[in-house]
Amino acid sequence: MQPSVREDYLEAIQQFSEKNAHLPHYAELALAAGKTESEVRADVEDLVSSGDVSLLSGELIALTEKGKLTGESVIKKHETLQCFLSEILGMDTTAASDEACTLEHAVSDETIDRLGRLIVKQEGLRHHTWDGKHGTGTAPCAVEDCDCTCPSISDCAEGEQVIIHCIHGRACAKRLLDLGMVPGERASIKRKLSDGALVVQVKGCDVALSPEIASAIGVERSL
Amino acid sequence: MKIALLGNPGVGKSLIFNQLTGLGIEVNRYPGTSVCLECGNVCYKKEKIEIVDLPGIYSLDGNSEEELLVRKFLEQGGAEVIVAVLDATKLERNLYLFTQATEFSPRIIAVVNMVDEAERQGLIIDVGELSSHLGVPVLLTAASEGRDIDRILPLALGSAKIATLQVPYDHHIEAALKSLEKTLGTPRSKSLLALQGTGEDRMLLDAAGAVAHEIELRHRMSVRQIIATNRHNLSRKIAASAVRQGDRKKTYDLDSLLTRVYPGVPILCAILFSLLLSVFLIGSWMEGIIVQYFTMYIILPFTSLGLPPLAERIGFSVLVALEAGLGIAFPFIFTFYLGLSLLEDTGYMTRAAFLADRAMHRLGLHGEAIIPMVIGFGCTVPAVMSIRILKTRREQTIAAFLISMVPCSARTVVIAGIVAAFVGIFWAFSVYIIVFILIILTAVMLTRITPGEQFGMIVEMSALRRPQARLVLAKSWLRIKEFLFIAMPLLIITSIGLGLLQYYGVTEIFEQLVAPITVTLLGLPEYASTALLFGIFRKELAFETLAVLSGTADLGSVMTAGQLYTFAIVSVLFVPCISTIAVLYRQLGARIAILISVYTVFLGLTIGTIINMLIT
Repeated sequence: MQPSVREDYLEAIQQFSEKNAHLPHYAELALAAGKTESEVRADVEDLVSSGDVSLLSGELIALTEKGKLTGESVIKKHETLQCFLSEILGMDTTAASDEACTLEHAVSDETIDRLGRLIVKQEGLRHHTWDGKHGTGTAPCAVEDCDCTCPSISDCAEGEQVIIHCIHGRACAKRLLDLGMVPGERASIKRKLSDGALVVQVKGCDVALSPEIASAIGVERSL
Repeated sequence: MKIALLGNPGVGKSLIFNQLTGLGIEVNRYPGTSVCLECGNVCYKKEKIEIVDLPGIYSLDGNSEEELLVRKFLEQGGAEVIVAVLDATKLERNLYLFTQATEFSPRIIAVVNMVDEAERQGLIIDVGELSSHLGVPVLLTAASEGRDIDRILPLALGSAKIATLQVPYDHHIEAALKSLEKTLGTPRSKSLLALQGTGEDRMLLDAAGAVAHEIELRHRMSVRQIIATNRHNLSRKIAASAVRQGDRKKTYDLDSLLTRVYPGVPILCAILFSLLLSVFLIGSWMEGIIVQYFTMYIILPFTSLGLPPLAERIGFSVLVALEAGLGIAFPFIFTFYLGLSLLEDTGYMTRAAFLADRAMHRLGLHGEAIIPMVIGFGCTVPAVMSIRILKTRREQTIAAFLISMVPCSARTVVIAGIVAAFVGIFWAFSVYIIVFILIILTAVMLTRITPGEQFGMIVEMSALRRPQARLVLAKSWLRIKEFLFIAMPLLIITSIGLGLLQYYGVTEIFEQLVAPITVTLLGLPEYASTALLFGIFRKELAFETLAVLSGTADLGSVMTAGQLYTFAIVSVLFVPCISTIAVLYRQLGARIAILISVYTVFLGLTIGTIINMLIT
């Protein structure tokens, strides 16, 4: 079963039981999900085997703890996205709701990706890769893996002035950001040892960097 | 009433804290972490005020132990008033943390410290302008001169308020914050963290994650970068309007000497070598005096009391433990801590880290690891505790192995007392050389087999400044107190335990059991195994027990030079002491603690056997 189909079912069951104060039968679920009853029967069997749903006596469909968690989370995601789309992007509320319906699932990764590509193309800039993992409970992977060809700060010589362009890799990025090494910031190289270890002056502070950290900082030379 | 000091590392927080509280400081270990919170009490206008010195951090968003602790502290409103300490010479960068702190809306004041240094650099800070931007009272201080420190408390208690300052985030971020507040009712500070993927609420994280995706695709920048950039931009704007650059006095830049390979590396080696040598010399001299007087005025009178044998045994064990503790803590460890605190307070240690980075990379570590390694020469316990500055598990594991092998002051006592005294000073140095070679070999092996990833060094170079005698003393005193607190109880308990074992003849059985190893492999007398066993409790006990068991302080008359040398090397390498094992267990878990113990036993016995074979 497609992850998005699964999430749709869980969302529908959760919504149904919240709205109607009782658990859905096959027929009711089929109506809510816009499918035929036989399709729903087959799918619910899959959901039972994946541990999201349990069947109660009288063919009532109930969510398990795990299924309920996913269902609730999808609903919240939907609401937040809808709010974001309508209030920020100025979309019509119904359209935003429909859009959020698609965006909330893993299947919409492609849509999001295409949308991203379109925006980038419009701005005439390079597309940044994105791994597209979704709904794992943590925030998404950032767009720090840029494939730009700018020189790294470790290619520069002692005494050079640079403007920071990008920071590759995630592990070290946080501390660098906190120390003021954000894109667009000016920095000067105060010391360079033969192995590539650097002392970089940024925002009036000297920061010592290991060679492997320095090579992750992309810069533009400034005059 | 509780006041907390918040600020970046190296802004003079500790100095302010010390001047506010005097020396009556308590160190509280925060539950579940190894981070220290220093607390002190002062009396102001007949009210007791508790002052907390929070660990120095650069950001409130991260996940290091210090950052988590401070964040939790702010979230829970741990103090009524926050005193944000800012470095006048680096105001822009320091305001970054301030902008984050205000998001937790505490009552806060800003103390701009080190204005004396800023004046030297020709920086003029406009208090009124800064205060109107931040929306809180601002005070200029110079802690190193004690200037205006006395005004901190009245200002904090009288005028602290919730800052009006708010970071204007990118409009997408602002919208996301609004959306999250509307749908989930999450406060701003929590939503900001969730957008950066930090938090425990799964639902909030999922929702924030979905929005963060959209934002990241629009900006081609991670949310973290956007948020950090917004904060830095605001800080820059404030700093630009509040700080004026006047005439700058030309000063000589010492870094042109200290951070170059030449003469930086020779200077580094000279400094470390003279530190260790002076600890060695001053320590042995002072230890001799302490032991002499302790024996003369306490132990001898006690033994002449003629108590019943069991009571005498227990009392004697306690006294020996006290003697050993005092004989090592003050002469060696305190001297070492004085030197170390001096080096730290001059700001030299960050230069040492930069220069050592290359050599440390060969050992599978990076520059920052030099600090725990150097501390290890004083005492392994605080050294192991300080490995949390290394960011990955791999680095921590490698560092723990190496630190457990670094000859600490107690091992220095063994080397000085046995090898230097009875075999020769040259041979004493050869022990160090053997240990260093083994450390390097171990590191080379570990870099190949330890799983996990490497993280490089990112260290802010602290400004070079003249250390304050008072602060150096206070820092060393705190450290030695911590040492005594951990080591002394263990020392006394184990000493009593061993005393009882000896009393009931258990150690003799043990001696006979391991005799094949001691006598055949290592070529040592049988009783040496008991001495080695005592060495597990505190390394220098190995030496003292050997003297007791052999029945003479003149070890040269009962054992050959070769035997003494072998004994010293084995006890130096063999198993870290019990306090170290306890700390290893707490920091890295049982598996690593056991692995290190087993590895060092194996190493000690192997090297001992090889030396024994070479001699005979």
